[in-house]
Amino acid sequence: MAINWTWEWDPFREFERLQEELDRLFEWVSPFRTLRGEEVYPKINVGETENEVLVYIFAPGMDPSKVDLSLEGNILSVSGERQAEEALGVEEVRPEKYVRRERFSGRFSRVISLPESVDPAEVNAEYRNGIIMVRIGKKAERRGRKIEVKAA
Amino acid sequence: MAERKEIARREESPPEARRRRRAMVPAVDVYETEEGVILAADMPGVGPDSLDLRIEDNVLYLRGQIKEVPGEEVRPDYVEVRSREYFRAFTLGPEFDQEKIEASIKHGVLRVFIPKLETEKPKKIEIKVAS
Repeated sequence: MAINWTWEWDPFREFERLQEELDRLFEWVSPFRTLRGEEVYPKINVGETENEVLVYIFAPGMDPSKVDLSLEGNILSVSGERQAEEALGVEEVRPEKYVRRERFSGRFSRVISLPESVDPAEVNAEYRNGIIMVRIGKKAERRGRKIEVKAA
Repeated sequence: MAERKEIARREESPPEARRRRRAMVPAVDVYETEEGVILAADMPGVGPDSLDLRIEDNVLYLRGQIKEVPGEEVRPDYVEVRSREYFRAFTLGPEFDQEKIEASIKHGVLRVFIPKLETEKPKKIEIKVAS
């Protein structure tokens, strides 16, 4: 086996590599994947700024008109149906022709609670590249406020 | 005045670098037809300009980046998607025509069609009925 002597051996890099491999393993058995190997659909990220709460719903391959999105108080629900086989572009899909089948197909429904500061009156949602991005304003009294420190 | 020494900044702390390198594995469907193989991959957030599809030594590489990610001002509350990159690779058999691969991406779903070489397509054998 040829060894490249110019390569500097870094023992910490070896730990990192071990950690990376474990990371990948845990990714595979993550709670966002069922035992059959299907991923939870759709995955959701939530973040907030001073004035808004932002929700990213990772829902690739959807017809936006077939997504039901609702906000009641601070409870956001998203449901709908995805036919995974539509993406194949085949007229008649025959199950025995699948070599591998991992993508989620069927009805889905997820409910998440958002920070209580959200104002249900100020919502807009947009679908781009398979991500539904929901922006919700915060109630005026719950917005971050800068407090000025006065010199005595 | 005392002489000030510039302290060389470490390029990047290892966990940070690792987080950046770690890519997600997109879920795929692979479907076989008489003409070839269709591959569909879920890569939400990836558009035509942030997708990198290439073939090297009979391996098809899928790479993609989530284009729009929240800025510094967004504080994460709840996170299920922790990376902004996708990566997966597939080895192609010799029966495929690598020159004629077609790909398109819509609503975050990549569709790749890998045609079989003409000589590899199934041929129908006619059975004559002896009268």
